[in-house]
Amino acid sequence: MTALRAWLTDPSPSSRRQARLGQLWLAWLRIRRNSLAMAGLAIVSILVLVAAFAPLIAPHDPLVQDLSRRLLPPGTPGNWLGTDDFGRDILSRIIHGARITLYIIGLVALTAPVLGLLIGTVAGYFGGWVDAVLMRLTDIFLAFPRLILALALVAVLGPGIENAVLAIALTAWPPYARVARAETLTVRNSDYIAAVRLQGAGSARIIAGHIVPMCLSSVIIRVTLDMAGVILIAAGLGFLGLGVQPPLPEWGLMISSGRKFLFEQWWVATMPGLAIFIVSLGFNLLGDGLRDVLDPRSAPK
Amino acid sequence: MSLIEIDNLSVTFRAKGREVRAVEAVSLTVAARESYGLVGESGSGKSTILRAICGLAPISGGSIRIGGVPVATPRGRAFAARVQMVFQDPYASLHPRHTIDRTLSEPLAIHGLSGSDARVVKALEDVGLPAAFRFRFPHQLSGGQRQRVAIARALMLEPEILLLDEPTSALDASVQAEVLNLLDRLRDERGLTFLMVSHDLAVIDHMTDRVLVMQNGRAVEELTRAALAGARMTTDYARSLFDASADRMLDPAKEAP
Repeated sequence: MTALRAWLTDPSPSSRRQARLGQLWLAWLRIRRNSLAMAGLAIVSILVLVAAFAPLIAPHDPLVQDLSRRLLPPGTPGNWLGTDDFGRDILSRIIHGARITLYIIGLVALTAPVLGLLIGTVAGYFGGWVDAVLMRLTDIFLAFPRLILALALVAVLGPGIENAVLAIALTAWPPYARVARAETLTVRNSDYIAAVRLQGAGSARIIAGHIVPMCLSSVIIRVTLDMAGVILIAAGLGFLGLGVQPPLPEWGLMISSGRKFLFEQWWVATMPGLAIFIVSLGFNLLGDGLRDVLDPRSAPK
Repeated sequence: MSLIEIDNLSVTFRAKGREVRAVEAVSLTVAARESYGLVGESGSGKSTILRAICGLAPISGGSIRIGGVPVATPRGRAFAARVQMVFQDPYASLHPRHTIDRTLSEPLAIHGLSGSDARVVKALEDVGLPAAFRFRFPHQLSGGQRQRVAIARALMLEPEILLLDEPTSALDASVQAEVLNLLDRLRDERGLTFLMVSHDLAVIDHMTDRVLVMQNGRAVEELTRAALAGARMTTDYARSLFDASADRMLDPAKEAP
């Protein structure tokens, strides 16, 4: 263990692999020192674990209805977070809902920022008419309210989780494109880009290898901040019957079904709301810590 | 035959209907293994000539030939393998997110050259940096060390011609001398041709065989090193520039040790 640590922290690594692993180790040490980021990481890890082992953890089947036990308050033995209007255990539904939430977040986080980065860096790097066309396209997407555009897309594609994800991704990319373009404009005329162009690099190499790394930290911050919004849009689509379909235990869908009893049986909407709140908070904290780690210049001396 | 031939070069920048003539009808030739200097005050167009050679500034008239062949637009890899440039500011010319290793191996990757591990180590050694610096980031290096990395990067493709855009003006005096001596040594070892820009006649005198004095985008006067040392300039402007830095030039103790 100590030998491994010495190998990782060697100030003069002897190979590229050692240097890369050493940097990862230092990044880990930096994020470990940031207690808020560690809290975020813990929340996100718990979400992943809960989603992975949902059938083992959940005390009840999330879909089995028992109308004799409907709308029980939290603290009832056997149903610690209460039951909903069909007598389904809310805790089990939240645990199974973690899978759907993670699936949606994962797919959106993989697609929208990548698309936005690509469009933003290409527009910023080439400028001229490429920039004009891509940015007007971005403006058109930005001008629509996100939920309305997602609705229109789902209405065309048909309801379902995949289509909801696609609709969210297609409406979420414009802000990333804007951020990426702004960052690209600040670095495109810098000497280090001129130097690599002078070495004969093509545009694809310059954008992917030299410009994208400069945009990455601001985009990652936006992604983590947007995750809460993504969960809510997925919930909104579910609420309107265009996203995840009942009886699947999606958190947003659970909130909207609890809306009817919000004053008398508050827990039906509150418990999934708390779950969304905690997961969003986890992503925000983690994102903040990641930004510090991703920027080597901010490393403590 | 001259290695670099610049004939009646003009560079005009256009922005929002205004035209700025940065370089007007400048001609010069540099022989192989020669060291040629461009000197002048700020805004005299000397750096623009280097950028025009590299395709970083728009050529509005005249021609540039390298080895007798007009340069292609865009410049391409063949050009990159012959001509490289060292930028003025070492704090801006290295990618802040790339390790020194990545910065130095990038040109090899672009040109599909093998053995990048050994070449990077060799390149660091050649510019007098310890191999331990290989996996550091630019922000962990001093200005002089960064400029050495920039020089090593420019030499990775083993070019014949090195364009030097005030390579020492961002460094303090003692480090300046070290970097100039390094450049001198590399030129001797590799038979490089230098085209060097500076506003400092002392640096130019130390480094170059011939020098072109520029003012407001035009060539004023070309001087050999002997003429410069003997203060045999014919134009008033060149003389005033010489007078401004003469005391430093004539005192060898203040030159590079």
